[in-house]
Amino acid sequence: MIPPAKHPSIRWTKLATGTLITLLMSGAAQATDRVTFQLDWLPGGDKAPVYVGIAQGFFAEQDLDVRISQGRGSTDAMTKLATGQADIGLSDITALMAAHAEGGIPVRGVYSIFSQPPHAFYVLEDSGIEQVSDVAGKRIATSPFTSSNLFLPLLLEMNGVDEQSINLIQSDPGTLSPMLLNGRTDVVISWVTDQERYADNALSAGVTLRIIPWHEAGLEAYSTTLVASDRFLEERPDVARRFIDAYEQAIEYTWANPNEAAEAVNAVVPEVEVDMAARTIEAIRPLVFNTFSETHGLGAFEPSRLAATWQWTAEAQEMDVNLLDPESIIDRRFVPGGE
Amino acid sequence: MKRTGITLYDLYAQRLLPLLALLGLVLVWEVLCRLFNVPEYVLPAPSVIFEAFLNVDGQRWFDHLWATLRVALLGFALAVSISIPMAIMMVRSAFLARTLLPFLIIVQSTPIVAVAPLIIVILGAGEAPRTVIACLISFFPIVVATTSGLLSTPKEMLELSNSLKASPARQIWQVRLPYAVPHIFSGLKVAITLAIIGAVIAEFVAAEQGLGYFVQFSTSYFRIPQAFAALFFLSMVSLLLFKAVQLVQQTFFSWSLPADEEH
Repeated sequence: MIPPAKHPSIRWTKLATGTLITLLMSGAAQATDRVTFQLDWLPGGDKAPVYVGIAQGFFAEQDLDVRISQGRGSTDAMTKLATGQADIGLSDITALMAAHAEGGIPVRGVYSIFSQPPHAFYVLEDSGIEQVSDVAGKRIATSPFTSSNLFLPLLLEMNGVDEQSINLIQSDPGTLSPMLLNGRTDVVISWVTDQERYADNALSAGVTLRIIPWHEAGLEAYSTTLVASDRFLEERPDVARRFIDAYEQAIEYTWANPNEAAEAVNAVVPEVEVDMAARTIEAIRPLVFNTFSETHGLGAFEPSRLAATWQWTAEAQEMDVNLLDPESIIDRRFVPGGE
Repeated sequence: MKRTGITLYDLYAQRLLPLLALLGLVLVWEVLCRLFNVPEYVLPAPSVIFEAFLNVDGQRWFDHLWATLRVALLGFALAVSISIPMAIMMVRSAFLARTLLPFLIIVQSTPIVAVAPLIIVILGAGEAPRTVIACLISFFPIVVATTSGLLSTPKEMLELSNSLKASPARQIWQVRLPYAVPHIFSGLKVAITLAIIGAVIAEFVAAEQGLGYFVQFSTSYFRIPQAFAALFFLSMVSLLLFKAVQLVQQTFFSWSLPADEEH
């Protein structure tokens, strides 16, 4: 049976009410734009700027409501961006390059955060290992998925170390420091962002560590980068711009006030100790603020360093350098004072 | 011989002895750690672990515990609500049993650790994928136990119910299921501990809270005693949940217990 037709005026009233509700809701949504920020690892001092942006109201000033989602590595972060679970976040640029060369991913680099690579060797101070060339013939422990592994062969070659002479051990990141203190390895590969965690652990064992950053041994490349999904950049470019402006403000505030920045992280993630986070922020200052960033500006992607970063990534992964134009994975529209 | 109550010997054997054994183990552990000066980043002594436990705010422990417990219990409830009807269907229909069983075995034999990241990508980073992971890991033992329980009904009982023209639903509900209860509870006891493992695996892949997340966080900061404290907390929770299932069986289905377990 066909239902009796409704009176036209009832339908119009419903339509008008529906439209009004939709308009009201979209009005409310426009007032503050929601952005999901994807971390590339667990929270810590090195991830402070986004927490600072929230605590200091930099995002609120731009009418942004920012939520933070924790990650488990660059690949995990990019997957979440590509699948729309997050809008913008952190990733190592080499992972982004590799993902593009492997077949493409709808994610692009928008702002460079570390303009120096964070990779480093950690050794015991009395081990006699003082520079990269001293690791020849030693046992080196690393975690299986870190991007540092990509650059290791290159670094060794640059410093005249025969790759065959070293004994590479792969292990879970949480086991590396105990292995070093325990004498199960001579050298550990980790990021300089971890140096305070290692230092605390070493202190409890009554020893001191020496850290040999790879950028001091000739390795110059971009690393941690602000990356965003193509969808976010295409559909909400204005939101992206406001977010990046506020993020840059937060970066500057973080390194001007490490203690307050550490407190901002601790306020959201109580597991992160203020003191250690503050020391981490201080320790990684050279990755963000260095002669390179002074010359080219914060956030900038300088074409020759970008090309070199890709060339090293390609060589390390045994990929054809011509497989990717590194410029194609970058969107410079959003770097403040950029394009 | 009819038992009249718990004797002093029972109290000693059932309650005190396991506790004493545990205390003895902890004591030996503590002494060995001190004697050989084992560094705490290798194996922390129980006293150091206890100190690490106290150093974490009670509210934070509660938040982490609640996050894991919620996911594990939801996953467990989901597993129960899927597996018992599924087992009934498989017992009712040989065709369904033949069709479903290979799938069930495939799901069970696929390492959940390998699939977890994919589930999170598909379902997002919220609580839903974690619940699904806890459910996936815990449903198989319930299906197997329920099926074998339903099939363990004596033939003569089934023949009797057939001769009385009992409907299939009534046969399941009043004849087969009561026989299956002890089996179902065996499955549930295995499943509840697996649900906790599932929740922890999911937290390792994507979470911002929970005891599994806290273990991962602690090891990433090389806070080994704190990670151990969280691990102990986790095993305590598993033990309590196991006991809770046992308590449900004792309270509501005491007839399904073997005579010597009724107390």
